Amino acid sequence: VTAITYKRLPAVITSLVLLFVLLLSAGCIPKKTELWVIVAGSLLVPMDQIETEFEREYPDIDVFVEGHGSIQVIRHITELHHEADVIAVADYSLIPMMMYGNYIPGSDDSYADWHLKFSTNSLGIAYTSTSKYADEINSSNWYQILSDPEVTLGISDARFDACGYRAMMLCQLAELYYENTSIFERLIGSRFTQPMTVTESGGVYTISVPEVLEPAKSNLAVRGNSVWLLFLLDSGDIDYAFQYRSVAEQHGLEFLELPAEIDLSSENHSESYSRVKVRLDYQRFQTVQPEFYGEPIVYGLTIPNNAPHPEQAAQFVEFLFSREGRSISSDYHQPLMTPLQADNLGALPDNLQSLAEQEDEHSY
Amino acid sequence: LKIFRVPQTSIRLLLLITLAISAALVTASCNSDTGSVYDDIEWDLTLVGDEEIVLDFDQLLKMDPISGTSGFFTSVGIVNGPFDIKGVSILDLCDLVGGVNSSEFVRVSAIDQYSMVFSYNQLHGDFITYDTGLHEIESDDLVTVLMYELDGEPLTEDLGSPLRIAIIGDNVLTEGHYWVKWIDKVEILHFD
Repeated sequence: VTAITYKRLPAVITSLVLLFVLLLSAGCIPKKTELWVIVAGSLLVPMDQIETEFEREYPDIDVFVEGHGSIQVIRHITELHHEADVIAVADYSLIPMMMYGNYIPGSDDSYADWHLKFSTNSLGIAYTSTSKYADEINSSNWYQILSDPEVTLGISDARFDACGYRAMMLCQLAELYYENTSIFERLIGSRFTQPMTVTESGGVYTISVPEVLEPAKSNLAVRGNSVWLLFLLDSGDIDYAFQYRSVAEQHGLEFLELPAEIDLSSENHSESYSRVKVRLDYQRFQTVQPEFYGEPIVYGLTIPNNAPHPEQAAQFVEFLFSREGRSISSDYHQPLMTPLQADNLGALPDNLQSLAEQEDEHSY
Repeated sequence: LKIFRVPQTSIRLLLLITLAISAALVTASCNSDTGSVYDDIEWDLTLVGDEEIVLDFDQLLKMDPISGTSGFFTSVGIVNGPFDIKGVSILDLCDLVGGVNSSEFVRVSAIDQYSMVFSYNQLHGDFITYDTGLHEIESDDLVTVLMYELDGEPLTEDLGSPLRIAIIGDNVLTEGHYWVKWIDKVEILHFD
């Protein structure tokens, strides 16, 4: 009997494989739902872990997390017409600016009509123990050290990355805080081939970013995303970089915390932050002329109105703000806000409405 | 010596088959002469410099092509390529409308009005380049091109058909935001 069984084994295996292939091709075995989540680069580390845990709880959903600079995240949806189920950016204001009133082709719907504010951060200076003057730098002398021609500085490109235009805001706010009118020019303005002008009107300082943003000096490195500056710090090619606190901590870098009056972290200083804005000095996008206002750093997310899987997207967002999701984010130095704030609470999916409160019209 | 007699019906059959194969080969040969994969592409490229001219796709294909191997990566490190790329140099295109000098820069625009600028230095190869492990490396002889062929095939719509910016060199990567899709305009602009 055994001999007969072994003899037939190859035929049995072949039959089973054929049956499996037939079932698969006939659609009898359910395929996983593919959920696309596009996020700001600074969220990638915690989001990768969220993805793993979510897929464990929802095995029929396969999550794909993709990261870009925040402006690019939204441009992928509104201008490159990629479909995503959830988007999350490092500056919530980009969502209403670039998605509200911007209609999906062939539809009467905007790309989005609500967003959740869900996390904060602060901006400071990342460095390593081998950076020049690493043992001397502090919150009183940082701008003097960074002005030293021997010190190399990294900044992300303000045309693509929220961290880049926020670093410019920080330097302008530093002029007001330290009462030193040369900080912006010495750290940023003078280091590009094309002039970067700062004009003041009614107490508001507007930084105009030229279309060509090219370093004039070898002591400045510009990269398209702040995450790329981390590698230059590791290799010693630059000494310091403007960086989010969460990202610096996730990568084990030294991080110089700056006064709350300039680090864009605190709602208590909203009014003083609003004294600066950054304007791209040309038509950057099809639909909007971006002007970025000085505000506390607040991350925002939404489910686009053309999301292929809105129901599963809402499950993912709910998981993100569950006890488990919050714990993961906290572990990766990106704590989530409690409560979440929605600008249009009634438009949220039903399962998310109880997680948020309608924001005060005057907050942020 | 042995002589085999072949039936006449077999000879006729053999002749018919030979004729059919010959006809098929001739037809295929004729098609390959006239049937370029670019025949169906209707696209105008506007060049603005000292004057404004419009090139159609056929005129672009008649320019000297430049080839190289390169790729790009997204802002968080997803590597695309390197690919075998063929296209037309942006500097060659600029030369058709007066050329570009160091007090000028070039703006390329897409049909969706998205644009990207390239400085004089960049058009002469000044880019940060990376190997496929995303380590920064030195690279000479970089050329910014309007790509129309990738790995021997015309670009697909998703890849930026029919014209997309590429920075080509010897197996190097550059940041993806330079690789603008669907280009329909190249302008030479003066700094104010």
